[in-house]
Amino acid sequence: MASVALFVPCFMPVLRRIDAQHAERVLRALGDEVTVIEGRCCGQPAFNSGYRNEARKTGRQLLRAAQPFGTVVTPSASCTGMVQHYLPGTFEGERQAGALSIGNRFHEFASYVAGHPAVDTLRLRLPGVVAYHDSCHARRELGLTSTVLGLLSRVAELDVRRLRFEDECCGFGGTFSVKHPEVSAAMMSAKLADTDLSGARVLVSTDLSCLAHIEAGARGLGMPIETWTVAEVLSRALE
Amino acid sequence: MSAYRERAVAEMRRHNPGATVTPIMRKLVADSAAMLARGPDDASRRAAAARAFAIGHLDDLHDSLRREFRKRGIGYHQAVTAEDATATVKRLLKGAKRVAKSKTMVGEEVGLTHALRDAGLTVLETDIGEYIVDLEGRGPSHITAPALHLNRSRIREILAAGGADLPDDDPARLSRHVRDAVREFFSDCDAGITGANTTIASSGRIVIVENEGNVSLGVSHPDLHIVITGLEKVVADEAGALAMLEVLAPNATAQPLTSFSHFLADPGKGQERHVVFVDNGRSAIAKDPRYREVLKCIRCGACMNTCPVYRTAGGLSYGSPYMGPIGAVVSPLLWGDGRYADLATASSLCGRCTEVCPVGIPLHRMLLELRADGVEHGELGSAVERIGWEAWAVAFAGSKRAKVVSSLGRFGIEHFGRFFEGFRPEGDPRTAPAVDVERDPGAIAGPGVGGRGPEEGREKREEEQDESDGLVELFRLRAEALGVEVVEKVKKEEGDRVLKATAAIANTGSVLLTGKETARRPLLAAARVVVEVQAKTLVRNPSDLEPYLGDGEALILTGASRTADIEKQIVRGIHGAESMVVVLKGG
Repeated sequence: MASVALFVPCFMPVLRRIDAQHAERVLRALGDEVTVIEGRCCGQPAFNSGYRNEARKTGRQLLRAAQPFGTVVTPSASCTGMVQHYLPGTFEGERQAGALSIGNRFHEFASYVAGHPAVDTLRLRLPGVVAYHDSCHARRELGLTSTVLGLLSRVAELDVRRLRFEDECCGFGGTFSVKHPEVSAAMMSAKLADTDLSGARVLVSTDLSCLAHIEAGARGLGMPIETWTVAEVLSRALE
Repeated sequence: MSAYRERAVAEMRRHNPGATVTPIMRKLVADSAAMLARGPDDASRRAAAARAFAIGHLDDLHDSLRREFRKRGIGYHQAVTAEDATATVKRLLKGAKRVAKSKTMVGEEVGLTHALRDAGLTVLETDIGEYIVDLEGRGPSHITAPALHLNRSRIREILAAGGADLPDDDPARLSRHVRDAVREFFSDCDAGITGANTTIASSGRIVIVENEGNVSLGVSHPDLHIVITGLEKVVADEAGALAMLEVLAPNATAQPLTSFSHFLADPGKGQERHVVFVDNGRSAIAKDPRYREVLKCIRCGACMNTCPVYRTAGGLSYGSPYMGPIGAVVSPLLWGDGRYADLATASSLCGRCTEVCPVGIPLHRMLLELRADGVEHGELGSAVERIGWEAWAVAFAGSKRAKVVSSLGRFGIEHFGRFFEGFRPEGDPRTAPAVDVERDPGAIAGPGVGGRGPEEGREKREEEQDESDGLVELFRLRAEALGVEVVEKVKKEEGDRVLKATAAIANTGSVLLTGKETARRPLLAAARVVVEVQAKTLVRNPSDLEPYLGDGEALILTGASRTADIEKQIVRGIHGAESMVVVLKGG
């Protein structure tokens, strides 16, 4: 039985508290002892806006909270990429080495589950059809596409469809979606059109940040498309 | 509203560039990947290494260039600023009145055409796309396809407004109309100005690639040929130049090589040739470890072809001669006055640009650096935004406080979200985010009508296999795909230009001409080009061509002269013969 921390991304308790519970439930089903880290942020929103000092201050609090744990699991490829690839660069010298070493203990939730020694013991079944949205951070920052699809393929009776333009960004991009809403929304609409073509009415991704943006668009356009995190799919598949 | 956003919104409302550009680019990017896959595996690695070496040794390579140019009788010039560059070109043009210009991005950067026209010269843009956007008056929207934002009916309108009488908007007709105007201009002009894709330090040769043949005319017709290019456009040797060629056309236009790849050496009899290397901030970039790698760029355009922001809002939204991700990085660096600082925000940081860049420039990471610089220099963000992020740092510094903040956030979205929707900009359909939406059990149950199966409908690209290891068969396959006839014997016809190739490249269907065989005037005037190739001189890839390149004039022909400047539709036979025949001997 492994002891792990579950880092709940800052936006999750605001938007969809239940996703954190889904993730926790799956980790417990794997036999892990779970401690929840909440109320912290990796600093990505400030970092991507060019505010590096503020990003460092924010991210440092997360690293502090994560420090006692050998494994930190987080249901977000975006936060994982930030902590591993960018946050350490905001520190210097020994602190940078420390940040790197803590950063390397972070694992994106789906990839952690896929590589878990007890994954074969999970009995996963969810009859239905979903389409997979490959988040840019899962795909390019972390290279997780085949890992996540492999994990989803373990769910019995679940038809996981690939989008035709799977490698195209949904247009979220954090503050990009606020600073350039027109361009962002046009990219989102293209993603929705692609989802619609797949025939699936549920879009699944590692990243709730992309999904919340896509879902807000679907609602605005009156399209009956739901967005689920991988954690929700697995949690419901356990039932 | 930032300047980029204003321009992007205006472009999207007026012209909806995404409708034209996105489908074209989706196809192009897929075709590019297929074209690259059939080349050598290490092409990008070698190209990146050649470029990295060059930007690390700019001074040495330029010393060598100076020496080699002197031996060849080519004038070597450096211009520190944009103004120096246009002044130098004006000085070199001396008494010239009519100037035929082909596409040069550095020319756009320094405002060359305007500067020459202001000085009273007649300047004609001879590239078909440039000719069109010059008439339109809004500048190029793509570095290799300047008129990408215009569809055929709009191009017909633009040409008609310029006095053309065109019965329809067939791309072949439109292209040939421009071609004729350009040819007529070449019959009476004093100087040709071109860009360069690279120069070669060890041999002092100038490499220029093109499809239409207007560069062929520009370097051979007028008595004066001036090259304007960036200080970084140099590689150490022929191997580096060939490595660049191996990735340039596949990434730019999904072609194996462009129709013409010129290796220019000594000026012709009675001809004068000068190269103006423009610094304009480049030597400062070369010294900055955070950004120096951007000078590796070979201007293939792969980053903009793949960029969803570029595709959506088009190239003109950037307001800079350099657009797309490379433009968003290089524009704020070249124009250090902050006017392009906000271009760094014109990216969702999806990372596709970095992924496709053949020379390994970490473009999206540079955009992050530029955002931080912009904030530091007060060109991006605001005092209010800084306070916001400070507050954020405080809010997420402890879990109790954060829980309060999160609850407030939820409360705000639940109760006031709808209110803020009233402030949504036009064209943004997104509602306020929903909090803990309920699930519809029917949603996951099954597809709606017309849904696709798991893999059905996904583009399956047929893995193209080289049918045979035999170079002869491979050459035949590739050449015929370019519309080149490959025969063992040919009946000579009147108007044939018969040439002997020094070598040929099997995997690209190309032939190499050297020395006198490269003479461009008779080549372009011919009704048909017949090239004799000895089978024993076949090599597999462009990089294997080095031993045959010699040190004089060389020209690689890959299919007939062509253009795809109008809606990416290929039109063959622009300046030069429409048909090409290869007589393969000893096969």
